[in-house]
Amino acid sequence: MLSYQRAEFPVRDAFAEAHSRFWTRLAAPGAWWTGSGRVAIVAEARHAWQCVLYRARQAALTPAAVDGEHDHLNALPEVAVDVIHRVTTDPGRLSRKWFDRILEAGLSEVQYVEMIGTLVALISIDRFCLGIGVPLHELPQPLVGEPSHYRPEGLTTGDAWVPMLAPDHDTGPEHDLFEIRPTGNVIRAMSLVPDEVRTLNDLGAVHYLRNGQVRDPSASAGTLSRMQMELIASRVSASRRCFY
Amino acid sequence: MHSYLLRASSKLEGTEVDLSALTANEIKATSGVAHSDVLIAFADAIVAANDQALQHTRHSVLEAMGAEAVVDAAGVVSNFERMVRIADSTGILLDDRMARASQDVREALDLERFRAFKESD
Repeated sequence: MLSYQRAEFPVRDAFAEAHSRFWTRLAAPGAWWTGSGRVAIVAEARHAWQCVLYRARQAALTPAAVDGEHDHLNALPEVAVDVIHRVTTDPGRLSRKWFDRILEAGLSEVQYVEMIGTLVALISIDRFCLGIGVPLHELPQPLVGEPSHYRPEGLTTGDAWVPMLAPDHDTGPEHDLFEIRPTGNVIRAMSLVPDEVRTLNDLGAVHYLRNGQVRDPSASAGTLSRMQMELIASRVSASRRCFY
Repeated sequence: MHSYLLRASSKLEGTEVDLSALTANEIKATSGVAHSDVLIAFADAIVAANDQALQHTRHSVLEAMGAEAVVDAAGVVSNFERMVRIADSTGILLDDRMARASQDVREALDLERFRAFKESD
């Protein structure tokens, strides 16, 4: 169980509880990665900020202008390392052509989506720790076991680089994924690997709002007004050059 | 999407907000949003992972808004450190409904320039 009891500020229990649920999931086999693979993904995400290639590309007009190899931990294939480093350090400059090259290099769409879901949850928790001034949590020991290879039915293509469930999907094992229908594309984006949506929902409800509240501009949570929450959200999006 | 929600929530409060502060390089207050300057500075420090700026801006939020606000603001910043990466790594489109509702805000902030890389090399 993760804890924020030593933080300088009182942190409501819901944060530690949601972060602990992700930590438990992180260590276990997922749909397309083993537990050791999943822990290796987040370890690489933490390492990405020390990569010399990342720093050189940050200074360039476009990342394609700088060739080189990533400094990495030698635990994952190079194509996976590229995804982790690019998504972690420079998400605003990812392109469709880059994504197509990733698939050509051997990573499958399902592996890609689980990798994204895993590393972005880690980034979110790490940034929270940074914000409140506590050390990053030690990564969990991976559990033994094989991935489930579960792929949901009812996927659609054309609205994104990856297949997604329809925005009004509400049947079968995925009936719980979308709190509102039609749901937003950013929630659908992870639905090729349904557990990644469940993690997204779980963390989002504690850090921000439940999905069902987002479209209601009068909804808020905690001490911040909705305007203050949206000011922060917009500023982070602009800083990361996110069009969404 | 969230610049639109900022404007929608401000309308509910009967307040006009200056959206230009969202994309300005320098940190400036956004009229109508209380403590906007300290919140923007804190968000920028977390995004930049700048230890020195974090210490300073965390203290500013604490002084201006209290300890719970530090935790809540860190929660929102870190939430969107996740969401922007999901949007940008999966090539999703803006939902039709949200695209229509936010068109003028997106034009005012020139947010389409961030989409240019999606079709580049």
